Amino acid sequence: MDLSRRSFLKATGLGSLGLALSNLGFDIPKAKAEIMKEFKLTGAKEFTTTCHFCACGCGQIGYVKEGKLIQLEGAADCPVNRGGLCSKGLGYSHIPNSAERVKTPLYRAPGSDHWEEISWEEAIDKAARAIKKARDENWIDTETINGEQVKVQRTDAIGLIGGSQVNNEECYQLVKMTRALGMMSIDNQTRVCHANTPPAMSAAFGRGAMTNPWYDLKNTKLAWIEGSNLAECHPMGLKNLMNAKKNGLKIMHVDVRYTRTSKIADYFIQIRPGTDIAFLGAIINYVIQNKKYDERYIRLHTNGFCLIRPDFGFDDGIFTGYNEKTRKYNMESWGYQLDANGKPMRSENIDDPNTVMSKLKQHYSRYTFEKVSEITGASVEEIKMAAELYCSVKPAVFMYALGMTQHTIGVENIRCFTVLQLLRGNIGIPGGGIDAMRGQPNVQASTDYGIMFQYFPGYLPFPTEKTNTLAKWTHANGTFRAKFLINLLKAWFGDAATKENDYCFGLLPIRNTSQNDSIYVQFEKAIEGKMKCIYFAGQNPMVSNPNLGMVHRGLCHLDTVIYQDLFVNETAAFWQRPDNPEGSDEFLKPADIKTEVIFLPACSYLEREGTMTNSMRMIQWRMAGPDKVGDSKPDYEICDMLWRRIRELYANSTDPKDQPIKLLTWNYPKEHMVEHIMREVNGYDLSTGHLLNGIGEIKDDGTTNSGMWIYAGIMRDGGVHMAKRRGQEDNGDMGIYPNYGWVWPDNIHLLYNRASCDENGNPFDPDKKIVWWNAATNMWEGYDRPDVGSLNAAPSTPAGQKPFRMNGEGLGRIFAAAYSDVENGETRDHSSTPVDGPIPEFYEPVESPTKNALHDNPNAQFSPCVIYPRMPDLQKIGTKEDFPYVLCSSSLAEHWCGGTITRNVPWLNELVKEPFIEIPKKLADKLGIKSGDKVKVRSVRAEIEEKAMVTDRIKPLMINGEEVFVTWQPYNWGFTGLSKGASGNYITIDALDPNAQSQEFKACLIDIRKA
Amino acid sequence: MAKEMAMLHDVARCSACRACMVACKQWHNLPADFSTPFEGQYQSHADLTSKTYNLIKMNERTDKDGKFHWDFIKIQCMHCQDPACMKGCPEGAISRLDSGAVVIDEEKCVGCGYCTTNCPFNVPRVDPDRNKSTKCDLCFDRIENGMIPSCAKTCTAQAIDFGTIEEMTALANKRIEEVKKDFPNANLYGIGPATEGVGGTHMMYVLPEKPSVYGLPENPKTPASIDLWKDVVRPIGKIAGVGAAAGIAGLFVLSKMMGKKNH
Repeated sequence: MDLSRRSFLKATGLGSLGLALSNLGFDIPKAKAEIMKEFKLTGAKEFTTTCHFCACGCGQIGYVKEGKLIQLEGAADCPVNRGGLCSKGLGYSHIPNSAERVKTPLYRAPGSDHWEEISWEEAIDKAARAIKKARDENWIDTETINGEQVKVQRTDAIGLIGGSQVNNEECYQLVKMTRALGMMSIDNQTRVCHANTPPAMSAAFGRGAMTNPWYDLKNTKLAWIEGSNLAECHPMGLKNLMNAKKNGLKIMHVDVRYTRTSKIADYFIQIRPGTDIAFLGAIINYVIQNKKYDERYIRLHTNGFCLIRPDFGFDDGIFTGYNEKTRKYNMESWGYQLDANGKPMRSENIDDPNTVMSKLKQHYSRYTFEKVSEITGASVEEIKMAAELYCSVKPAVFMYALGMTQHTIGVENIRCFTVLQLLRGNIGIPGGGIDAMRGQPNVQASTDYGIMFQYFPGYLPFPTEKTNTLAKWTHANGTFRAKFLINLLKAWFGDAATKENDYCFGLLPIRNTSQNDSIYVQFEKAIEGKMKCIYFAGQNPMVSNPNLGMVHRGLCHLDTVIYQDLFVNETAAFWQRPDNPEGSDEFLKPADIKTEVIFLPACSYLEREGTMTNSMRMIQWRMAGPDKVGDSKPDYEICDMLWRRIRELYANSTDPKDQPIKLLTWNYPKEHMVEHIMREVNGYDLSTGHLLNGIGEIKDDGTTNSGMWIYAGIMRDGGVHMAKRRGQEDNGDMGIYPNYGWVWPDNIHLLYNRASCDENGNPFDPDKKIVWWNAATNMWEGYDRPDVGSLNAAPSTPAGQKPFRMNGEGLGRIFAAAYSDVENGETRDHSSTPVDGPIPEFYEPVESPTKNALHDNPNAQFSPCVIYPRMPDLQKIGTKEDFPYVLCSSSLAEHWCGGTITRNVPWLNELVKEPFIEIPKKLADKLGIKSGDKVKVRSVRAEIEEKAMVTDRIKPLMINGEEVFVTWQPYNWGFTGLSKGASGNYITIDALDPNAQSQEFKACLIDIRKA
Repeated sequence: MAKEMAMLHDVARCSACRACMVACKQWHNLPADFSTPFEGQYQSHADLTSKTYNLIKMNERTDKDGKFHWDFIKIQCMHCQDPACMKGCPEGAISRLDSGAVVIDEEKCVGCGYCTTNCPFNVPRVDPDRNKSTKCDLCFDRIENGMIPSCAKTCTAQAIDFGTIEEMTALANKRIEEVKKDFPNANLYGIGPATEGVGGTHMMYVLPEKPSVYGLPENPKTPASIDLWKDVVRPIGKIAGVGAAAGIAGLFVLSKMMGKKNH
């Protein structure tokens, strides 16, 4: 579908929207003719796409002349960015014209010191054979798990890393082919950034996603930014906030150092890295002690009045049910008191000692301003000011990113936001919510599609030894979700999937729940010799993982690396590494490294079509613009070639283990391939072929298929692709734009919007109404699609009183109780509970400069559920005696993640030329270091050299009576690209959150000295 | 009827994301410029260069009350109403368009550098490779085609605005009222007494503190010597039939001397 001329004018800003001078109602000033050169854009072909850095999802318009990209700007009609773009989004315009792009497949033979050019046929054949070899030689048919023999039919010898850098259709191809191969070690960028978000958000609300759209920020009165540098890392979050300033918005910024975000904030408070739970715990305590909560909202929409089991407790830093040996909790005592029907019992008295509210009050009474000041380093006055500010206005929104997630207590960090927002009635309302600002352009989708070891597409849990039949899976995960699994299996196995054979459920590999198959463990398994081949699709862990010495060692142990990207980066060229910051005694020269590397050159996003999903779950269409570079290919074409070759290699096999490969549906036509793939994702009626218009049309009897239920409705009969829509309507002026792109699920923009209404379906705030029950039509209506199971579910019925319908209880979960909702003796749905506690408790980072001030229990210094080290020889814990300073690491405005793209953009390199470390002035004076001096930065893991930036933007903190210095570094460099420099991640720690296995980037201990 | 336009940079809103710098380079096809080495500072270039027409200056400052500030200001051609560069250009290569944009015609420019010397804001830079004077041209070609300048369009903080001079003045005054709640010395730079000496500028600023805090001249003036130059020296040069290159070499010295008097 081509965009009409009118649409293009809108995107350019020359149509009916702003950013055009002709709109201002006067003649455009005319330049003197003799000065006017030929206008740059004259004769250029326009195309629209979506930016490829953070998950703001900015619309872009590009201009192409003779196949070359000549200009790239923000699209004026995209409600996210309205013509704006950050330095990176603009700088990408260099990439289609970059001389450094790889133009043909490359091969590095084992032990070789150079690349050689090979043909696509050879490259695909080598990759397919390497995968087949690793699979066939390392097949696990059965396994003993907890003393029981289980058929697991999988391989742990092949890994997939990546997904957030490719389009939705390519994510689907990747997950489909890897699962059909029996692979379990599949993981994407979300592990490194936001994996901790879904468990935290879904424990409270039932879904794991950012709650409100970017453009809903105009409705907020207080934006509380904590653990985010959005001015640099989510610039359109900033633009939307700056737009709201005219409505009296106030901005609070809580962070570990003063950043460019602090500059535009009204208030800034510095806290020590890793102490957010203490800080927010003090605010929770303030809200409860001063009764600043919204009692009506809590009563109607949350589990605040539900009764928790009397045997639940918390003592000396540990919740009930802890097993010291396994470092795991038995969650049984974290459940509700249940009535005869198995439903949670409630009290009418908020002060009943077993209500959620009473448990909360008791738990956070320890979080006094004074105690929290000692832990965080913020003053009592600052904490008090923050608490009062939060309680003084409504609506308020929390905005966060990796500053909250990248901790061993990341899930519980985010849980603090969910508790506070439920207490204050800030969820489901315009201007409220929790904006989890996702980091990668398509990380929302690579998570949606389940490129994670523990999930299937659509957040369906992957079968494990406990759920290894369809019946057991359904019992554990509920009939609600079983319907969607059946539709996925119909999409994958076609006619072979029948009711009689449980829709081929028996062909699926089985996950061993005692194993962690995350990206970190893939390298650990490689070192142990269990992992043989890793397929990377646009991820650069040789820069972006913590403890890089481990990554390098892991890569060197592999037989094969298949690397798909635009540039040869540090992961592809690991065998050429010029340095050795961890002091390894092995793998020092290319000849020592026996890994073969197959490099598959991919097109950039500007050169291919497809869809992407941004942080607010909006799916947008990308057109192809400039010509492909050299012989590079779109990722969807590479995946297609690879799968077809693998299938050929197995064509004659009769081995039962190869049946999933042979039965997997995979015949996407070459023309409009991505639209055919999305058709399958959407799903259709198997007898009529009609595309499904939404989740409600998915059937559980095998008559429909749907590759991923949450995207059902994105494509419609008659060639309608909802992601291509560019409608500007915003009825009610509430910042919804329902006709621009398409948002999962069912085009609901503001999640849980039912919670903006009272028990009768009337909006709490009639001036800011968004959905409502219309008694005359007997329907839920609104400016947004109401977030209800059925639009006819009247408020007078139980189904009409489920503002958080994806939770078993249908309520917001202040206390994440262990709970399964049972209907007719079968599990209908299951609520999720973080493994490290039903409510957040503060623990120190694994490497900490101080003792946990809340309890003396040695099991509770850091999270009692964290298991670290996993490989004691390679993972050590530094102590403050040897490493006295705290280091926090993150990105900055101009460079991004592994740097594969940004370090190849000269316009970004001139802005930030090399890595550095920010050092507080007082510490620099003590160490005799001046700005620009080279310094050695050392942790227990490695030592690197970079330049010092001495600054007043980080103040020394008084922590538990001692002065603590915090430092900060950007981590985005490595030894390839146009800008080279030390990789900061050699020194960071790879201790992981016990829920979602995200690493503790944000706090480790270091020493610094002048080089 | 053609209107006079203006750009407004609200220093209180700027986040120094520097998207405007990349936007400028992209639109003008300018290469990256690594002339300023990294010595522990955020600011990318010490000053404007012939490859960098638009620069965000970044400065850490602690005020007399001990309060910390991180100052960001966008530096580029001020597009004066009474441009010294234009007046002093021996080749008549610089003109002020109806929009207010002051632009250099590269066909005519010989790279003598008078504009650099005469500019009270120290803006134009002669590109040594091409021997042409360079500076921000307010994206006059975009304006002519109905598009706003690339820096203003891309701004992520709504800190750069562009419109008619009346609109920008009204917006600036409104913003200043807001900024004054926290910064009583907030002022508008570009219109009014501060920039009278150059006839006002089409680049305007909302400044929380007095101009010198951000490195802006408190009383910029189009040098009086320019009139001498324009009315006496230049006609003599022309009458004498001095060839551009040779004549200009000599006149350059004179101009330098005049320039010095102004400092």
